[in-house]
Amino acid sequence: MFKALSPVIALATAAFVALTGLSTPVAAQEPPRIRLTDGVIEPLPFAAPLFVAENGGAGEYAAQLTGVVAADLSGTGLFREIPQSAHISQITGFDAPVAFADWQAINAQVLITGAVQASGDQIVVKFRLFDVFNGQQMGEGLQFVGTPATWRRMAHKVADAVYSRVTGEGPYFDSRVVYVSESGPKSQRVKRLAVMDYDGQNVAYLSDGASIVLAPRFSPAGNQILFTSYATGFPAIYLMDVGSLSVQPLGQLDNGTMTFAPRFAPDGRTVVYSLERGGNTDIYALDIGSGQVRQLTNAPSIETAPSFSPDGSQIVFESDRTGGQQIYVMSAGGGEPQRISGGEGRYGTPVWSPQGDYIAFTKQNKGRFHIGVMRTDGSEERLLTSSFLDEGPTWSPNGRVIMFTRETAGEGGQAQLFSVDVFGRNLRQVPTNGPASDPAWSPLLP
Amino acid sequence: MPLGPEQTVKTGNRRKLERTGTIVSGALHAALLLWVILGDWLFMSKDLPEVEIAQVSIMSESDFQSMVAAAPKAADTPVETPPEQPQPAQPEATPPPQPETPPQPVAIEEPLPQDLPVEAVPQPLETPDPVAPIAETEQPIPAPLSSERPKPRPVDRVASVPVDTPSDAPEVADTPTPEVSDQPAPDAQIVEEQQPEAAPEEATTQIVTEAVETEDNAPQLAPTTSLKPRSRPAQVAEAPVEDPAPETPPETPTETPPETPPEDAVADAVAAAVAEAQDPVADAVADAVAQAAADSAVTSDTGGQGTAAAGPPLTGGELDGMRVAVNACWNVGSMSMEALRTTVVVRFSINPDGKPDAASIELIDSTGGSGSSVTQAFETARRAIVRCGARGFPLPPEKYETWKVFEIEFDPDEMRLR
Repeated sequence: MFKALSPVIALATAAFVALTGLSTPVAAQEPPRIRLTDGVIEPLPFAAPLFVAENGGAGEYAAQLTGVVAADLSGTGLFREIPQSAHISQITGFDAPVAFADWQAINAQVLITGAVQASGDQIVVKFRLFDVFNGQQMGEGLQFVGTPATWRRMAHKVADAVYSRVTGEGPYFDSRVVYVSESGPKSQRVKRLAVMDYDGQNVAYLSDGASIVLAPRFSPAGNQILFTSYATGFPAIYLMDVGSLSVQPLGQLDNGTMTFAPRFAPDGRTVVYSLERGGNTDIYALDIGSGQVRQLTNAPSIETAPSFSPDGSQIVFESDRTGGQQIYVMSAGGGEPQRISGGEGRYGTPVWSPQGDYIAFTKQNKGRFHIGVMRTDGSEERLLTSSFLDEGPTWSPNGRVIMFTRETAGEGGQAQLFSVDVFGRNLRQVPTNGPASDPAWSPLLP
Repeated sequence: MPLGPEQTVKTGNRRKLERTGTIVSGALHAALLLWVILGDWLFMSKDLPEVEIAQVSIMSESDFQSMVAAAPKAADTPVETPPEQPQPAQPEATPPPQPETPPQPVAIEEPLPQDLPVEAVPQPLETPDPVAPIAETEQPIPAPLSSERPKPRPVDRVASVPVDTPSDAPEVADTPTPEVSDQPAPDAQIVEEQQPEAAPEEATTQIVTEAVETEDNAPQLAPTTSLKPRSRPAQVAEAPVEDPAPETPPETPTETPPETPPEDAVADAVAAAVAEAQDPVADAVADAVAQAAADSAVTSDTGGQGTAAAGPPLTGGELDGMRVAVNACWNVGSMSMEALRTTVVVRFSINPDGKPDAASIELIDSTGGSGSSVTQAFETARRAIVRCGARGFPLPPEKYETWKVFEIEFDPDEMRLR
């Protein structure tokens, strides 16, 4: 009986509810809404007042740390430092209240406050980050402890934290770059392996220049370097331990073969490289532990410059199997490759981004060289640079910046390192001690 | 017949002219005679250089033929090569980008040049140990309080002389006040309001890469992929109330406005009344009540908690003004690539003076990004609202009831490819 009555009761109840005013008698309007698609692209103004030296020995580090933090952020092109001379407020103590109105008045949108303590062989750096216009602290304060010798890394760490909190991107300041340092006349160039901080500081040389070296690559852990050397008169790949500088050949050094273009797999246990035998070049994979070699391509054309996807499932490489150099993607175990480049000109040296979303490449077309990026399916190709000779892109650990070699024309032409962000902005030269080429970015340091 | 005075004057003038002509003629003839007599002496010509005379010899035809036969052939003639001009860089002749291709071995026989860096001996690179026991774990550093502006002390002194409470009634002037015209007086000086100097809020709306820039100047470069044409701006409904499909999701019914306590009371009463009934009846009644309550909650939310958007709708121009105002502060330059693919919808309250209530800014919807990118996109949007709203948004005060609650959809996707 209740089942029969239930609709009636429901209707009666609904009518009762309506009559007693449960429903709003007059339907109100929705708030007005607009859609924005045209913002502005400008560096974010930030203020980095001098870090507070909290004891006597910290004074010399405070200014240096502040300067490196500001330089790191400004160097991205995403931030613009408001000079300290324009500051209205002064930060006299790390825990002092922040006068947001004073920072708003100079249009600082982000404020970085910090303090340094130095005692004996230890430095303590701490900082806070504020969203000025929202009047809030962004995240919690962070503190780093290190030795005086590592003060630059500590500054990079602070800048990394600020960068990540503001942009939402992964950091990349506390990283290194291995490259080929060049010296001597162009016809008798001496090439040595060198490593530096991402900003060109703290250069150290890893080889003596007795033999030509090319194309160094960091291991995923950053403790090993693959490179190609002419130590035996013919190019062959070697593995260097960056801690001891011990070098060992990788794979068999057969007569009549050449190996080059090595690159680690994301797990660090496999190396892919090119091997030339009898005029034909194919891609091989070498298991470092067992020494087992596997041939991944088998074509009469030149297949080279392999690069793993971040998940290790695919390999992108260049091949001239259709006549000109183009970019192909295949499974990490080999198989039929799929061509992804389709524009005019020749494509080479593809490198998969650490985020897996883009592939950087070198393009030659109509007498100009470009560094470009494209989606992993070849779509959204975008050329970032254009010059007489640009080549050899390498990704920053966060996949936002690309470093590459740019060589100028003529007898006096020199190779230099440049960087550009993935959108083609902020093109700038990386400072090095003389000519440099073949950069390879390390992973973020621990 | 005697001459009249006028004829006498004419005759005198004629004689004067004849005499003058005679004098001029005589002077000219005298000058000519002097020039003939003294010209050679005064304008003596200089001696011309002697003409050089070349000795010419006559060549016979046989001599000529023998000379021609002895002349070198054209191929043997050493062609004078023009000096080498500095050739512009021939990009086609440059080596292809083959940094990874097998390089040819090159023997270095000469000694190393002298400009090697100082550190000739390779040094072991210190293993990238964790710089320091860098405390990656966030240290609980308490946030400092924001410095507050000094507040005026409360005045506790009372004036000795009582002051009349100002009356609400307007004072009536003894003399009539002249009517104020809407038009400025012709001789009135227009004083422009002084705007405080501030950093420029907009640097650019588009970044031109080197490749694009060079492309513009050098048509021989490779064309990049063409960007898709920009879509037309979305038509914003001038009367949101007429929008049959509101995009704003309704708030959960749990946020029942406090102004409607009868809802809870009645619902509770009904729920209690039917609690003793059988389950089918209870379910049916509960469904009906829930439906009614949900309708009420939806109506309250879309109406801005029962009080918003009750005035006349904003015009397209007014909405465009708001769009332009916020666009100017919406800086996507520092957003991550993922955040640039994230669209967020933000709702906030606006005070009658046009300034946003920063505390009311809330995220009500997002698409296309992960948690961190949504957070970053929302923070960027909030910063834009607070910055550009600091001076008050350009909204008509008479429509305050309409715009007291506002929603903005921030879609940076088109900015990503610029």
